[in-house]
Amino acid sequence: MKLTQEENAIRKGSRGPVWQKVMNTLILYGEALHAECFVDIEWGGHFSIPFALPGVGPRLEMLTELAEAGLKTKYPFTLDPKAPIDFENLGLSAEQKRVFREMLRDQPAYDKRMLELGLRDENAYTCTPYFTEVGNRPPRGAILAWSESSCVVFVNSVLAARTNRNSSILDLLSNIAGKTPLTGLLTDEGRRATWRIDIKVLKRPHPQLLGAAIGRLVMDGVPYITGLDRFLRPDLDDETVDYLKEMGAACAAIGAVGLYHVENITPEAIDQGRRLLVAGAAHDAIDDGKLEALLASYPVMWKDTQAKPRKCFIGCPHLSLRELRGWADSIFDALQAEGRPRIAVETILCAAPHTISRFKADTESYMKLISAGVKLSPTCPEAYMNNPLCAKEPVITNSNKFRAFTSARLLLDEELIEAIVTGRINQSRDLK
Amino acid sequence: MSQVFKGRSILPATVEGQALVTRRGFNTLACFYKSILTHASTAVCGDQDNPELFGRVLTAQIICLPKSIGSTSAGATWDFVAKMGIAPAAMLFSEPIDSLSAAGLILADIWVGRRICTVDQLGAEFLAAVQTGQPLKIMTDGTVIFI
Repeated sequence: MKLTQEENAIRKGSRGPVWQKVMNTLILYGEALHAECFVDIEWGGHFSIPFALPGVGPRLEMLTELAEAGLKTKYPFTLDPKAPIDFENLGLSAEQKRVFREMLRDQPAYDKRMLELGLRDENAYTCTPYFTEVGNRPPRGAILAWSESSCVVFVNSVLAARTNRNSSILDLLSNIAGKTPLTGLLTDEGRRATWRIDIKVLKRPHPQLLGAAIGRLVMDGVPYITGLDRFLRPDLDDETVDYLKEMGAACAAIGAVGLYHVENITPEAIDQGRRLLVAGAAHDAIDDGKLEALLASYPVMWKDTQAKPRKCFIGCPHLSLRELRGWADSIFDALQAEGRPRIAVETILCAAPHTISRFKADTESYMKLISAGVKLSPTCPEAYMNNPLCAKEPVITNSNKFRAFTSARLLLDEELIEAIVTGRINQSRDLK
Repeated sequence: MSQVFKGRSILPATVEGQALVTRRGFNTLACFYKSILTHASTAVCGDQDNPELFGRVLTAQIICLPKSIGSTSAGATWDFVAKMGIAPAAMLFSEPIDSLSAAGLILADIWVGRRICTVDQLGAEFLAAVQTGQPLKIMTDGTVIFI
């Protein structure tokens, strides 16, 4: 890589051994990815390393080494959702709590180190940092070094900021150095579409089912999606943004998509249209039949496939304010229609701490949820399932991302509401 | 006559051992997570979606793969695997290395001091030719010899 004088000096140890290790890591990484040089990071980071769980977050010794050397990120950063320590919202048994306490025994020290390294504040934990109320919302064109696949694909596609799909720990080191290798999705060429995907369906599909279908087709390619604009508003209103958030999360988790373009909807597609497509781009179409087949292919991973659901998680990725209000209304209306006062399946809606605070200020919606027995939590449903005792429970969700990484069972929204309210799953879909 | 393939050496080392082959993406977190959580002394692949690797020992093997897939937690996963001493001996990529593997393997090298020999761009012919159990010798210049 072509290095500046300063980068070269750091590489040789001008700022001490820890800085030297940071720079050497980034140089080797950039060379591996064929980057010619570094570019400066222009906005705060978002990282997928919120837990002290082994294998998921950095070792505490490493964070300590960085912090004690006085290193800190160039801009304040946000982290993925908090570990599941809000036991009061999660309905845990004593044994489940004990296991979580043991698994997360290093969490307080870990959280402290993160603050020292530049974490914005004690509430800066969510997988939707880009929502206005959370405030880590990069402007168009800003160079970033983010991780968390659902965040990367959202800021690249919907906000037209620029980040590669960074790995955990590399995200932190890049933001400490304030530099990231110039390659891939940071470049104009890397943002061009390598696939054209035509959506040929009769009604707007479930976003995380469509996202999974796209992700399976294109893997780490960049899809240019046509035909979806029939179902979305062109001005990126809240409903459209929420749809794209959900679709992108599934594209990224079930494939490895870091950027998509939706014709007439997303910023770069509006500006450049089909000129974004590379010559010889691959081409495929998704219709209702393919989506139905995909849904039917998902096995039920529960030990007892006929079990009654014990818990429901909604909000992977975290819900928006509009989505929280929508679920409150839907659950309330369904309860009224069934003549029931409270839900039959323990249900947890997950959202950013800032989003939950704003939602609580809307007393009418909040009271609907509370009176129905629904809980709100800032945690991550996937992290809940890291506890082996929790992973055994028959959990339902509408998140295909959550399903893909755990034993949770996917239900479409209407089926999910029916199950929450009645405690029964409509078995019309064949069990696999 | 021995078959010889030439790739790009990213973390050079001379290694001899047996190939363990996956022709689909290597899901780093899914492969190692159970071994990490159980403090295993030997890593056994826990990725149920990968029938080529599921249940096989990964430690000290030469993993032959196209590229890796899955969670962006891969960096931390490699860091832990290296620290625990349960890492493979080498990773041989037929395609250009992906960002998640590059990050994780380099982190293990620099921050743990555990080199996992890494070669990429060995080509589709390499992945078509190599079979699990094939004895391999890897040279520091990225040459891979079937022995």
